[in-house]
Amino acid sequence: MAEVFVSVLIISGIAAALALILVFCESIIQNYGPCKITINGKKELTVEGGKPLLSSLRERKIFLPSACGGRGTCGVCKCKVLSGAGPVLPTETPFLDAKEQKENIRLSCQVKVKNDIAIEIPDALFFIQQYQVTLTAVEDLTYDMKRFRFELTEPAEMEFVAGQYVQITCPSYQQGVEEVDRAYSIASDPKDNHFIDLIVRRVPNGICTVWMFDYLKIGDRVQMTGPYGEFRISNAQTPMIFIAGGSGMAPFVSILHQMKNSGSKRKAEYFFGGNTVRDLCLSEQMAKFEKTLADFKFIPVVSRPAPEDKWNGQTGLVTEAVKRTYTDVSGYEGYLCGSPGMIDASIKVLMELGMAKERIFYDKFA
Amino acid sequence: MKQSPQDKNLDRMLRSGKLTAGGFFGADSRSVDEVIAEDAATLIKLGYRVAQVAARMQELRDLARPALGNWVRVNDTLQVKSEDYKGMIGCPWPHSGQFGKRITAAQRLDTGQSASWSDLNIHLIEEHGFFEGRGAFFRIEPEELIRVIF
Repeated sequence: MAEVFVSVLIISGIAAALALILVFCESIIQNYGPCKITINGKKELTVEGGKPLLSSLRERKIFLPSACGGRGTCGVCKCKVLSGAGPVLPTETPFLDAKEQKENIRLSCQVKVKNDIAIEIPDALFFIQQYQVTLTAVEDLTYDMKRFRFELTEPAEMEFVAGQYVQITCPSYQQGVEEVDRAYSIASDPKDNHFIDLIVRRVPNGICTVWMFDYLKIGDRVQMTGPYGEFRISNAQTPMIFIAGGSGMAPFVSILHQMKNSGSKRKAEYFFGGNTVRDLCLSEQMAKFEKTLADFKFIPVVSRPAPEDKWNGQTGLVTEAVKRTYTDVSGYEGYLCGSPGMIDASIKVLMELGMAKERIFYDKFA
Repeated sequence: MKQSPQDKNLDRMLRSGKLTAGGFFGADSRSVDEVIAEDAATLIKLGYRVAQVAARMQELRDLARPALGNWVRVNDTLQVKSEDYKGMIGCPWPHSGQFGKRITAAQRLDTGQSASWSDLNIHLIEEHGFFEGRGAFFRIEPEELIRVIF
């Protein structure tokens, strides 16, 4: 009996010693020491080696867009790595096409900083900041869409261009849900820069929208980063066609505010599609824009109105309404925001009506 | 049976809320293999194959898509619609694959029965034979699905 006991003790002792050696070795092998990240050949950061590039940059207040919180499931945090990253990992390849791989585009959440590394990112990302915000109002827009108003507390202002988006951090609000970041277009007046409005449509069982709709309360403090994105109207004076559906409304509210603020005389016609009258929203606000803007028209389109709706506006798909309205849009620019299906169908229709592909700008839900 | 580290990781991923609120299992305590095996047995009993079911789900989704969220009549007894939501979702299995958050609904006009599924559901069924655990938000009961889509 005593022999068995001693044997167990010896084996346990050896196992414990081996574990200690492993921990010790790991601390030496995986200690990469300070590493230098050179950005765009001009900015240098010294960071602690061994961490993913995405979080190393984030710690130094450089925010690359990312929707999954660095777990390699969204493919959004791409950046060009000029040197020091090693080969492309199997976890990256699903998100990188051949051209991107050839151009050294990498997923920053998968690349670990193990030595000095040189990267290229758009200069605009240097202006992205992290904000503490407080939810001050929630407004029902439809049965599955709400407008959330956040007051910026720290910093207290965000400079953005109408059409850009922010990323909101959804905390771990229930067991099993991990913190994630989600992108939403800004729906507020760029001049009113102490506040950020977001128009959000509930995604069935979506992690972030369930939190925003069911858990987030007025007065709650939340974190967001931004502004991100290149979607915006051009400086040309060309007439514009806007097409949106659902929460695709958001950037256009901001764009219309911007047009009003700048005294724009530009012609704009906005087709907003819903399946039923219940899917339409912000008609009053759009009517105000029609009065205040020099040449703006809001055209709500309902694909299948019920008889009891007594709908006397445009009917059918939003793309059909566009087709009915114009015969030639070669002199227009097109701006689209909504589901991939709607965007693809709209691009097809606009091109059939003569619009050049380079004149079509879109923000596709992804 | 002892689980391999890979199986343990998969189980953890499926039960976590990393990809979808509440995970892919709901309150189901069965293992992934048990869920897949039981649903496969149901399909065999009904005379269908996984590939056949997934192909039909995909076919109906593709029929519905051009109508941008409106109902489309497939035949005298079936209508379908497909709606896109913002965002993408990945497959919980350790391989590539991102799917748009698109939900297709099918409704029988003769019986009133309905079923709905996401693009990820189609992939999970086609590639992994996984209909999700009982109580998961997107769990599909094979028997109910077949009754509606065929």
